[in-house]
Amino acid sequence: MGGGVVGLSCAFELQKRGHQVTVLEIGRCGGQASGAAAGMLAPYSENVEGPDDFFHLCKESLRLYPAWRNEVRRISGRAFEYTESGSLYIAYHEADRLALEGRRLWQNEHASSGIVLEGDALFRQEPMLSRDVKAALYTPEESHVYAPDYVLALEHACRLIGVQIFEQLGKVTVAEWRNDIVVASQDGQSFTGDRLVVCNGAWAQELEEAFDIRIPVYPIRGQICAYEAEVKPVQHMVFCNQGYLVAKENGTLVCGASEDVAGFDTSVTERGIERLRKWNKQAFPFLAEQEPFHRWAGLRPSTQDGFPLLGPLKQSAGRVVMAAGHYRNGILLSPVTAQVVADYIDGGGSPLSAFAPERFTH
Amino acid sequence: MKKDVWHIGGHELTSRFFIGTGLFPSPYVQKEAIRESGAEVLTFAIRRINLASTEDDSILQHVEGESFQYLPNTSGASTAEEAVRIARLARASGLSDWIKVEISANERTLLPDPLETLKATEILVKEGFTVLPYTSDDPILCKRLEEAGAAAVMPGAAPIGTGLGILNPYNISLIVEEAKVPIIVDAGLGSVSDVAQAMELGVSGVLMNTPVAKAKDPVGMARAMRLAIEAGRLSYLSGRISKKRYASASSGHEQFIVK
Repeated sequence: MGGGVVGLSCAFELQKRGHQVTVLEIGRCGGQASGAAAGMLAPYSENVEGPDDFFHLCKESLRLYPAWRNEVRRISGRAFEYTESGSLYIAYHEADRLALEGRRLWQNEHASSGIVLEGDALFRQEPMLSRDVKAALYTPEESHVYAPDYVLALEHACRLIGVQIFEQLGKVTVAEWRNDIVVASQDGQSFTGDRLVVCNGAWAQELEEAFDIRIPVYPIRGQICAYEAEVKPVQHMVFCNQGYLVAKENGTLVCGASEDVAGFDTSVTERGIERLRKWNKQAFPFLAEQEPFHRWAGLRPSTQDGFPLLGPLKQSAGRVVMAAGHYRNGILLSPVTAQVVADYIDGGGSPLSAFAPERFTH
Repeated sequence: MKKDVWHIGGHELTSRFFIGTGLFPSPYVQKEAIRESGAEVLTFAIRRINLASTEDDSILQHVEGESFQYLPNTSGASTAEEAVRIARLARASGLSDWIKVEISANERTLLPDPLETLKATEILVKEGFTVLPYTSDDPILCKRLEEAGAAAVMPGAAPIGTGLGILNPYNISLIVEEAKVPIIVDAGLGSVSDVAQAMELGVSGVLMNTPVAKAKDPVGMARAMRLAIEAGRLSYLSGRISKKRYASASSGHEQFIVK
């Protein structure tokens, strides 16, 4: 259930391992958070507090990425951008140095070779950066993909190896899961299988009643804009406490993203984009002169404790496996999620209890 | 019954819960948790805020339009000078003239630097700020901060984010005994029992962030903490019994014997 990056990745991995996979998508594949994402593979910049289970999951996924990317490219026959740009987490206050230094200390113990850069050393790395920036944590290990192309390549690869994909289903409901898997779509089709992998992101909460568990997944809208950039003006992924900027191979500079509490509303608002533009020009003054040429939004699936729901439903005896609630990190987490789900289904692993889908149910 | 209100810098408060806005898993959960906490005072690190347009800030935009008292903090500062500079920036942006002085010189423990904290408090009080210094749980130091003009003093229970609870309840009770300004326990609390204990020791309020934001259910935990504050406060006002070594029957038979 779900043809976003997580659903397609699980389908790809499972089909490769010899299962027959069907993907059910209510809209079109990659139509929500996956297609809207800026594609940052940044476990260190996205986890600034400490090495918790979520960080380790993110870090493991980054490690899997190069081989995964090669496999998706090889099977799909489609190239997609994967840039090992490294990242800069910038700070405007002297007072941020302590926090950057604290982060560097623990992240260096976890496969980051990050260093704190200041002054000339920083501006040599990122010449157009505002001189108001006092320091930055440079993490060479982080990279980014062009998410829309990556998701397309994944979808293509899935189809080529025999995954059946049904799109535009409007609404799908789980009709039976205790003894057998039956999923019905609005137009009267019925799909059966041995297992059900739930990857419907921000819509996971709709299944609370069907499975009789609490699924506290909430949609958080992310608004993004992109500027045209002829000569690549930004060399790294640049993060700050207000958002990020990342230059893509196709000559665009992507800037995200708001975190709006707006239910399932995916509209782009003037205020939302204005807000991005205000801090963009603080980071890169040349952006003051520019208008974004493209604005869009997607719904990220956030969860009550910030961790995804990843693993089997115990009460289904493992027939139902959940992989939802990846929030800001679905693109990054796609390889590791596919691996965890496929390993579980093949009897080879049990996902961490920190991610157990039934953890919110008493 | 007279309402149990208290004051900081002439500002009347009903809630005794100061809540931090950091670390929440999403703005939705943050918003709901803040609402459930009943907090009137919100605290956040000034360095995390977009001071150039605070109404657009990634954190503050979610509490826009509500009547919170902001308590910006100088976290990240390692000297009095830095803290003073940050405080002035916050006031200049129109956020608030309340300031939580937070000065740490060690990135592992983040324990407050008492000398720099006192220095910054003296300067900021002179500049007309309502100053709430976060400090170590030393009774003499807390008194000195009060004498320097702090509007409230905020001793830590334990290092920030550790959830270790009140490491030295004896000190906290001495601080309360001596104080003429509100004492707010800030940092290191982990559970409702820690919070109730703090309130039973007679502090005026508690400041928390991590124990709520990092709970499995932050909204549920915000409510639990609110109730713990209420329970602890009421217990303090009602006066707990003294501890005895041996049992004394609660069903006291004597008075029922018919003579």
